[in-house]
Amino acid sequence: MSRHRDTVQQSIEAGSRFATLYASENTVRTVLVAPHGATQIIVSPVVDGHARSVVDLVPAAAWDEREAADLYGICFDGHEPLRPLVNHDPDLESWTVPVQGRDAYQIAVGPIHAGVIESGHFRFHVVGDRILHLDARLFYKHRGLERAAEGHSPEGGIAFAQRACAGCAVSNSLAYAHAWENALGLAPTRELSCSRTILLELERLWNHLNDIAAICAGVGFAAGNNRFAGLTENARRLNEALTGHRFLFDTISVGGSTLTLTREQVAHAREQLEAIRDESRRAWRELLFNASFQDRLPDVGVVSADDARTLGAVGPAARASGLAEDARTTSHRLAYDDFQPVAPKRTAGDVQARLEQRAVELLQTFDLLESLLDAPVNPTSTVAGGLEADVGIGRVESPRGATVCVVEHTNRQIKRVHLRTGSYANWPVVAHAAAGNLLPDFPLINKSFELCYACADR
Amino acid sequence: MLTLLRDLRRLRQTAALPRPDRGRSLALRHVDAGSCNGCEHELTLANSPYYDLQRFGLGLVASPRHADVLLVTGPVTSRMREPLLAAYNAMPEPRRVAALGDCALGCNLLGTHDALVGAVDEVLPVALRISGCPPRPDEIAAALLALIDQKNQHAP
Repeated sequence: MSRHRDTVQQSIEAGSRFATLYASENTVRTVLVAPHGATQIIVSPVVDGHARSVVDLVPAAAWDEREAADLYGICFDGHEPLRPLVNHDPDLESWTVPVQGRDAYQIAVGPIHAGVIESGHFRFHVVGDRILHLDARLFYKHRGLERAAEGHSPEGGIAFAQRACAGCAVSNSLAYAHAWENALGLAPTRELSCSRTILLELERLWNHLNDIAAICAGVGFAAGNNRFAGLTENARRLNEALTGHRFLFDTISVGGSTLTLTREQVAHAREQLEAIRDESRRAWRELLFNASFQDRLPDVGVVSADDARTLGAVGPAARASGLAEDARTTSHRLAYDDFQPVAPKRTAGDVQARLEQRAVELLQTFDLLESLLDAPVNPTSTVAGGLEADVGIGRVESPRGATVCVVEHTNRQIKRVHLRTGSYANWPVVAHAAAGNLLPDFPLINKSFELCYACADR
Repeated sequence: MLTLLRDLRRLRQTAALPRPDRGRSLALRHVDAGSCNGCEHELTLANSPYYDLQRFGLGLVASPRHADVLLVTGPVTSRMREPLLAAYNAMPEPRRVAALGDCALGCNLLGTHDALVGAVDEVLPVALRISGCPPRPDEIAAALLALIDQKNQHAP
């Protein structure tokens, strides 16, 4: 067994979790994160285009290895079969799992879907209405953002992280900024941490409201969908009032934040947040007492805690399965003092648990914003706070889970940047959750994760 | 449920847009050709109670075969070029293509030459351009309503 595999195995046994794996300069780099948040990069060589797979030790690395195989031409020995992921092979057998049987057949959906939905292709292997297996083929929206960012300065590269995805714009650009600040030996001041934490929670606020609306849409419950869509609109209007942009674009920079709030603006924000909190509480109560809606939720799309851990689930989806995973507990660069992850009473890992997870996290977000918005916000900058290095890692809890950004540089020019978002981590979990369920429940299962295609595809 | 419906009625009464005074309709089919999902999020809210495009006869339909307008977001990626053309070719005539958002218009595109084809008008004839990164729901609504007005002017 090669040495890097030993190291990976020992760290995993000691409680570390997989963060990301990517190809760089004739090596494959596996990033693990320890329970207290420290990150570790394990380098393994690529010899004659071959590297040893770690997928048997870390099943969560499956997509990462397939991506590195497609984009960097690396063959992972021990990863069998190594199916294409980013490359779209017209030969169906090359990328789907063979499902055989007398009555088994396939249903192809996408890349263009019936509603206003991002592009991606799903191939369901079914018997009757029962899903036996789901092969998801994403990366229709692959724009080559990581490659295109190479050679850029810290400031020039942030657009590639931010515009990977509008839904996670703050999370992605903050992970990128943290990675650079880590590499350049910079630490944020307390004021900067607070300003950035407010932005991150404002992003979580509109996303969680949007996700609750989406679950209502997933069962065709139009009144619930419209009510929460209205609340999402309120949250985006608040974003615009505070930062000039409904998706908080361009608020994060390497070493800074543009969120500056006067006493009047803070008062306005608190008033708006109070109104959104009241209205969402009332609307949530209506969802709880709507029996035909609630009947659709339990025991659908179940992900057990063991499966969530093995597959590397992150974010609300992981917490709804009973994992106390939240990057905010170890975000020392942000103002999450004594943060404890929350979970609903019932963590069954089904659609109902993932929906209730959003609701309890919303309450936490309102509380966090209320405590952070108690004085004018005036971010300063970063101060020296660590050693400089040619590689930096940033890890941020996005609305969909832990997002990791790695930056490698020479003389402050990007040599390699890699972004692994919460959505990327959770897509294989969606496919797993769908198996065994009825096909008409898939929209609901999918919406209970509400993952972005854009930041997985990049 | 009654509370929800009452809330929704109140929202519609305070909606940002005026009441409809137009007699025509357009069926829209959306295709995401590689966007960051911002335009999708705003288009979704253009159908929420604050804007409610359906009041103006602007409905999003499930198939390009039912559509008058193809609403395309994002820079066209090389992997979405063929599906986009297939959707356009499936539409009945007369048909129009609307490019929604700065990426679709070819502004500040980010990505590699291999992965991107470019602006929507490199692939399809664009009749309506809606700029913004992303355009707000009211801007999307205003641009589409102008297209209806244009259609009404041409009508006999």
